[in-house]
Amino acid sequence: MVGTLHLRSAPAVGESRLIRGTLIAIAVVFLSVFLLAPLAVVFAVALGQGVAAFFSTFSNPDTLSAIWLTLVAAAVAVPANLIFGIAAAWAIGKFQFVGKGILIALIDLPFSVSPVVAGLTYVLLFGAQGLLGPWLVAHNVHIIFAVPGIILATVFVTVPFVARELLPTMAAQGSEEEEAALTLGAGGWQTFLRVTLPNVKWALLYGVILCNARAMGEFGAVAVVSGHVAGLTNTMPLQIEILYNDYQFVPAFAVASLLALLALATLVVKSVIEWRIARRGARV
Amino acid sequence: MLRRLRKRSIIPGFGLTLGFTLFYLCLIVLIPLSATFLEASKIGWHEFWRAGASPRAIASYELSFGASLIGATLNFVLGTLVAWVLVRYDFPFKRLLDSLVDLPFALPTAVAGIALTTLYAPHGWFGAPLTAAGIHVAFTRLGIIVALTFIGLPFVVRTVQPVLEDLDRELEEAAASLGAGRLQTFSRVIFPAILPAVLTGFALAFARGVGEYGSVIFIAGNMPMRTEIAPLLIVTKLEEYDYSGATAIAVVMLVVSFVMLLGINALQSWNSERENMSVEQPVALAAGVPV
Amino acid sequence: MSIAIRQITKKFGRFTALDNVDLDIPHGRLVALLGPSGSGKTTLLRIIAGLELADSGSVHFDGQDFSDRTVAQRRVGFVFQHYALFRHMTVFENIAFGLRVRPRASRPPRSAIRAQVEELLDLIQLRTLAGRYPSQLSGGQRQRVALARALAVEPRVLLLDEPFGALDAKVRYELRRWLRQLHDDVGVTSVFVTHDQEEALEVADQVAILNGGRIEQVGAPDDVYNRPASSFVYNFLGNVNLFHGRIDNGTAYINQEATGQLVFVRPHSLEIGRQPSGANYFRATIKHISSAGPVVKVDASTGWGAPVHVEMSQARFRELELRTGEEIFITPNDLAVFADEQRAG
Repeated sequence: MVGTLHLRSAPAVGESRLIRGTLIAIAVVFLSVFLLAPLAVVFAVALGQGVAAFFSTFSNPDTLSAIWLTLVAAAVAVPANLIFGIAAAWAIGKFQFVGKGILIALIDLPFSVSPVVAGLTYVLLFGAQGLLGPWLVAHNVHIIFAVPGIILATVFVTVPFVARELLPTMAAQGSEEEEAALTLGAGGWQTFLRVTLPNVKWALLYGVILCNARAMGEFGAVAVVSGHVAGLTNTMPLQIEILYNDYQFVPAFAVASLLALLALATLVVKSVIEWRIARRGARV
Repeated sequence: MLRRLRKRSIIPGFGLTLGFTLFYLCLIVLIPLSATFLEASKIGWHEFWRAGASPRAIASYELSFGASLIGATLNFVLGTLVAWVLVRYDFPFKRLLDSLVDLPFALPTAVAGIALTTLYAPHGWFGAPLTAAGIHVAFTRLGIIVALTFIGLPFVVRTVQPVLEDLDRELEEAAASLGAGRLQTFSRVIFPAILPAVLTGFALAFARGVGEYGSVIFIAGNMPMRTEIAPLLIVTKLEEYDYSGATAIAVVMLVVSFVMLLGINALQSWNSERENMSVEQPVALAAGVPV
Repeated sequence: MSIAIRQITKKFGRFTALDNVDLDIPHGRLVALLGPSGSGKTTLLRIIAGLELADSGSVHFDGQDFSDRTVAQRRVGFVFQHYALFRHMTVFENIAFGLRVRPRASRPPRSAIRAQVEELLDLIQLRTLAGRYPSQLSGGQRQRVALARALAVEPRVLLLDEPFGALDAKVRYELRRWLRQLHDDVGVTSVFVTHDQEEALEVADQVAILNGGRIEQVGAPDDVYNRPASSFVYNFLGNVNLFHGRIDNGTAYINQEATGQLVFVRPHSLEIGRQPSGANYFRATIKHISSAGPVVKVDASTGWGAPVHVEMSQARFRELELRTGEEIFITPNDLAVFADEQRAG
């Protein structure tokens, strides 16, 4: 074990080399087995039969349409929840009002609902047997087993992301800078765009990348409302399921490797943002 | 009306932002959820009981809750250990491993599902030696526990980490100066201080596990009464066009989610009280964010 | 610009921050709102600015009712306690902010904004730091930037909330002289909030002393210090010895319990003698002497056991050759008597 002594750990309260080494070893083995191995196996299988086999996956029109639909769903869900997150964080972070705690809990609600149940709620509302089903059928509007349902389900499961990241940041920064801007004659929008937004930009970006990762990767909720119509209502995760269950492992893992790359990119951006916030925190 | 509910403030935009927030939440979350309860109320008590408490449904609840409990407990122990190691010690590739802890948040569950299945399948990297040793993971309950441990891994680590970082080292030095051994210092000084965070992480991991679908169904085997989790049973019922059956199970799970949400909120407020209102860093925030 | 505050009341929940407050601030003056924390001084300042809305009462600028004007319409320069500098903007951008957010029609051209900001940078002597961010400045520098930013909009009045509260003692001392100088140069009506009586008495033309949401006294520093209107003001404006006593025919009798009156004497108004002098004196025993510094502080115990604090010059101390444990005679030169409100109430 290399284990350079941590600067802050005075010898009086440190652990012995043996205990330190053992604890580090357990942690490294645990994280390797549960995190590194699954990540590695995705790329190993995807490239297992050569680069040509990997790339041939992406000539399949169903796969391409799944990639397209995933991008569409994220392109709707992320901006919608971005606007929602900003509005919610402003109302909750800058004002005192009755029922604030309940509102925060409501925003968190989609996190604690099983994605499958989330999908089901839309089926029960918009499906042919659902509450609005007869009306929708009569007006020839298709939501369930169609693209709108997939977008709605994606929006549902990603509602809290931006709001959750922005809220503590906005609340912690208080309202003094906004008040200063108002005393200097700035209007509401000017204050928001020139003072508030630059101050929360990292938290905002952080929320957006997490929201995007979930929007592109959502499986359970989308699976329920999709109907699995190949080339029409399959997103990338659903396409992976179909390919995998069809024993087409290389194509399944090739699509999966794209999503794994997205996850890695998300983690890199996240680390960079955390590093920036930590540095700024140290400077102020 | 709004004026009476809030303290008057000169910051503009309260009505607009709160109005939009409520409108959006109602549209996307509350109306669909109430539709589910409305559907459930139409089913009738007898039918509801028949579907929601059938032996197959009960077996699926037991599996979902039991496996989540075991996964969360594993994370309770190992997650605390990982957080401790990441905060207190330096070792090669520490930054890399630290960043990777969030992988289960960022990796789509379907990808995790097929990756874990491939790893633990009889001919997989881990599956081959384990099968030789007589341990079957893929397509058994053990596989479900592995998947739920993966899914819940970041929760305990990310809630405990910031608390450990903020923990005043002088407390430990004081304990040592008063004659406490290292183990006594940990069990009597450090552990009580991080306990609310550990429990919060445990509860979050557990709640996430109960509702988890994507990462489990590939590795589970999905045998009714044996390896069929509750969310899968809902999907199965839907595919059989048994809407009332699916609704009954969904309502049971929703009620459980609400109860857990309340519990987690209580734990979190306990946690932040213990943290002395310290301004949370995004590391801590990610903990509330099951991706 | 003169400010008139009329019957302002403000409550936060059950807590009354301001209780029917009236105050007149004449044009061009530098006025201190002085009081302990929770006395309502900051709330009053924020109500003048329009950052807080009063429950009732009105604020008038030059005789015109401004109560319903927004903070932007009031055009006040507000300097926040923790400066509230925009952390993502440079010093230059901070100062220019108020000019740049004006509607296009009344916004000065870029060159005029630049000239005006540079003039202000010269005024606060920070021209070389124009490109720095607030996090790269010292506390005193941030304070000056906050002032320049507030002055950039050519405010009707300048309002400062605990302007020196977050600074260390030496910087505080220099900055308050600078603020006085600045006020004399610029001439804008200014109000600042402080809990430090020394600061208020040294810097302001006029001091308003607040306590429990009410104004106890308003007057020139010399007035409020030498002619305090209430026991609170007397107590708040400096160290004081307190005795129970009563007044009969112009004579104060101290060491009298249950008389319903309080006698205050400042430590420097007590005269120590080796011998009794005149008719007014009492005996005491020296307990402790602190002789480091320009003023010598003597802690003594009166014949009836009450502590008493006396201050004297180094010269007088050397002349008397006092030692711990000695018996001395103390003569009050100047004292004030107020009804004992606690007892009366």
